[in-house]
Amino acid sequence: MKRSLLIPLSVLVLAVSVPARGDTDAEVQARKDALDVAAAFSNDGFKIRDGHWCGIVKPHDHSLVAVNLYAGNQYWFSAGATEPAKKIAVSVYDETGKQMTTESYDNAEKAAAGFTPSSSGQYFVSVDLLEGEESSFCLVYSYK
Amino acid sequence: MSRVRRVVAVGFLSICCAGIGAEPARLPADQMAKAIRLDAISIPTPGELFTALEKSGKINWAGQYRGPMPVTYSNRAQIALNLGGLIADGFIAVEAKDGQQVKNIGSDIIKLAKALGVSEKLLGRGSSINEFAENNEWDTLQEELEATQNEVKASMQSHADQDLVILVTLGGWIRGTQVVTSAIVQNYNEQSAKVLRQPALVHFMQSKINEISPELRSEPLVKDVSGELGKIEKLVSSPPGKTPDIEEVRKVNEAVGKMMQEIENKEAPK
Repeated sequence: MKRSLLIPLSVLVLAVSVPARGDTDAEVQARKDALDVAAAFSNDGFKIRDGHWCGIVKPHDHSLVAVNLYAGNQYWFSAGATEPAKKIAVSVYDETGKQMTTESYDNAEKAAAGFTPSSSGQYFVSVDLLEGEESSFCLVYSYK
Repeated sequence: MSRVRRVVAVGFLSICCAGIGAEPARLPADQMAKAIRLDAISIPTPGELFTALEKSGKINWAGQYRGPMPVTYSNRAQIALNLGGLIADGFIAVEAKDGQQVKNIGSDIIKLAKALGVSEKLLGRGSSINEFAENNEWDTLQEELEATQNEVKASMQSHADQDLVILVTLGGWIRGTQVVTSAIVQNYNEQSAKVLRQPALVHFMQSKINEISPELRSEPLVKDVSGELGKIEKLVSSPPGKTPDIEEVRKVNEAVGKMMQEIENKEAPK
């Protein structure tokens, strides 16, 4: 099967085949949006990890997840949020809490951060609500 | 302009804007302590580890195979640990682009998973693995292995076997680390050794083991593996920026090798 066909197919499979127990409709939609963003990076050889984190973003609050990354790999953390979120951002911090320089993609309620760690270890990925009200979000990540 | 290029162009602008005048933001310690930690996103897959290792040069993946293992264990903790190890073997065979080995391992994964009574749906995964292996669809195979691992874990959770989930994850990490440290010792370079620094990851797995039922935790195999994990945490806890030297890598390899031997061979009492 051609790669161009495999990428949308695998995103579709990830989106529909393994909904985590307890995910709300809003979280399922947010996850679909996050996977849409991640699919763009798949075209560039990034593999989407078959795992996700869904939750609630609130104004003036970081929604944080700990990840363990390997030096040498490149990562994209992609998030989607649902109404009433208007604009979100994704950031990466190291284990001391220092914000890392990332490439970023922002498109209203979808956002992503690209990061290449120089040191292996624990990092924190933050999903922040920049505009809008408390809403559901979902984060996926991809690597190459 | 392609979608990725647009993304990167937007990103470049964001980096430039963020860099003007502002000190990078810092997270307070209490927020970091409260961060969510999830098996599905906080623990990397063996595939991620192997991808990082490959960046430093060509790896003889086929040289990392191990001999056939029994799939007739009766102890559930031992089955779970071996299942995780087998899934890591599947990733190794995918890296080696060895279709027959992938099929053999896929078949063993299904046998062990059935011994734990996980979902019949997994039989379908076995067929998919065979089909993708026959068609040399390596990227898809890697996704299928990851999905298989997640399905095994989801099935365990729905059968009130959630305590076994961390053992599957741990088995995969131990086998993955054994392979990676062996490859690094064979051809040491600093870039590849950098992947071994994972103090928080080992600490997280240890904390998950501490959460399992006292009965399971007191089983000799689980107790031994947990004890060894504490020692390994020290070995993989170098400061950021410090790369383990070859002797340190060898120590990690010996420690995980000892654990792997115990997981494979010891028929722990029920």
